[in-house]
Amino acid sequence: MQIAISGGKGGTGKSTVAVNLAVELAKHFRLVLADLDVEAPNDHLLLDLELTNEEPVNQFMPKFDYSRCTKCRKCAEVCEEHAIITLKDGTPFLMPNLCSGCRACEIVCPVPGAIQEAFRVIGHTYVTETPYGFTLVTGKLREGEERSMPLVVEAKKRAKNLDYELLMVDTAAGTGNTVSKAIEGSRLLIAVTEPTPLGIHDTELILKLGKLMGLRTWVVVNRADLGDTRKVGEIAKRYGAEVVAEIPYSENIVRSYVSGRPVVLESVPEAKVFHELAEKVAEFLGGGE
Amino acid sequence: MQVAIASGKGGVGKSTITASLLYFLKDMYKLIAVDADAEAPNLGLLLGVEKWEEEREHIGAKVARINPDTCVRCGICYERCPYESIYVDGEGNYVVNELTCEGCNVCGLVCPVPGTITLEQARSGVIRKATTKYGFPIISAQLDVGRPESGKLVTEEKEWAKKLMDELNLEHMIVDSAAGIGCQVIASIGGADLTILIAEPTPASLSDVQRAYKVVQHFRQPAYLIINKADLNPGFTALKEWANEEGIPVIGEVPYDRAIPRSMAMLKPVVEAFPESPASKALKEIAERIAEEILG
Repeated sequence: MQIAISGGKGGTGKSTVAVNLAVELAKHFRLVLADLDVEAPNDHLLLDLELTNEEPVNQFMPKFDYSRCTKCRKCAEVCEEHAIITLKDGTPFLMPNLCSGCRACEIVCPVPGAIQEAFRVIGHTYVTETPYGFTLVTGKLREGEERSMPLVVEAKKRAKNLDYELLMVDTAAGTGNTVSKAIEGSRLLIAVTEPTPLGIHDTELILKLGKLMGLRTWVVVNRADLGDTRKVGEIAKRYGAEVVAEIPYSENIVRSYVSGRPVVLESVPEAKVFHELAEKVAEFLGGGE
Repeated sequence: MQVAIASGKGGVGKSTITASLLYFLKDMYKLIAVDADAEAPNLGLLLGVEKWEEEREHIGAKVARINPDTCVRCGICYERCPYESIYVDGEGNYVVNELTCEGCNVCGLVCPVPGTITLEQARSGVIRKATTKYGFPIISAQLDVGRPESGKLVTEEKEWAKKLMDELNLEHMIVDSAAGIGCQVIASIGGADLTILIAEPTPASLSDVQRAYKVVQHFRQPAYLIINKADLNPGFTALKEWANEEGIPVIGEVPYDRAIPRSMAMLKPVVEAFPESPASKALKEIAERIAEEILG
């Protein structure tokens, strides 16, 4: 089974909640944490880990065999990304950065062998064992690549191939389709937000997405003393979600964040919030079995 | 001039700092602001925009649809979809998940029954314009949830902004980009004259701003750095060391200051709400340096 940590706005504490929950939930489940924020993956830094077991994500791109190409232009016509341009006589050229690797060109090409397979590396995935009894899977998009979707798909696939009882995904900021791809298949969506007007605005977007996907959604209010948490509660209610935890702004959390040691491991009051949240999640998941 | 603001990591203060810089720079220049974070647009909120004067639908996304009446349930589309966006519902129908579809039309091309799978235009979001109470215009966009993240939306925002610059004879465009380093950020940075990077002294923010800087380098642009929450993590010197090594000028440091979240609750730039706060004083100096050394 799978749960997701998301939040809409960037920097609300998604990764902080994800790593602390992972440490706690690893006591209940064989757990894999997948960092699917492929444009800015940070979970390993919050755990002070070097990424290991690197695998490239190769993306298909067409390589034209001009001795066979009949210059029919079909490949360029079907390319939804306009990554194939043709000269006046129909000779196709690829603009690699625009290519999404979907293979539509290969499918329509009427001449066997005129489009051959080539690949380029658009990023990497990693599988890293943590000292906390769970495995971390990370997707990392290569700088300059535009499309994160294929990397989210590959990193999630790699995580799902591991042996686990609970897969926890940590998503990127935002509410576009790469976030919904990461969340897809979750039994529970935990939206991490902060009680500022900006946090509340973006929470509404993620709640909307959760509702469209038919997901049970919980809200965690981070830096709860920075604003009015009641407003978060009101919005949550409107979308059938509930606020399940409030985390105060805390120097202990900041210290743990920068030192790469999850705060839940320390004997400080802040650890309690994560203990309780983890218990609640475990109970919810156990109860659903 | 076109200036992009980027950070890689979300929540490090891009929009907060942008709003405050705009507040000062508006008195010296004729500006336009562009909020290019279409998945979580916040700059308008921070500038107190209550009403959008003009709104345009952006019909950029495409989504596949499967006609269940003619579908023969062969499952080829399901196997070939590169993004695993086709699923089988409780009644055995093949259905496209509109919230993850990229609109590549591979399913339509491999389907053996002509006309069963069609690619349809879908609304991907809106682009809108307002005049802020500070007098300068802002262009903002909002992606509909679950749509492909869209550099095109950002490009269209910037085109609208350029048109307004010509019409209203404006001097500078300030583009507040999204988190990450994907197509929205590439569209924000591409075409800019320079990028101002924003980071906090934490390992996560450093890692992400280094990635954003690689995108800036890709466009061969000058970059500058503002360090936010500069006193958050006193022992952490790696951010400044990196900037030094790369030759990225640090144009200022903003201290951690509770006045910032309090100003957010008031929907005002901190420099307007609490002009005497430590963060506001730092931001004022940064704006002056930007005026002197960058915008001229």
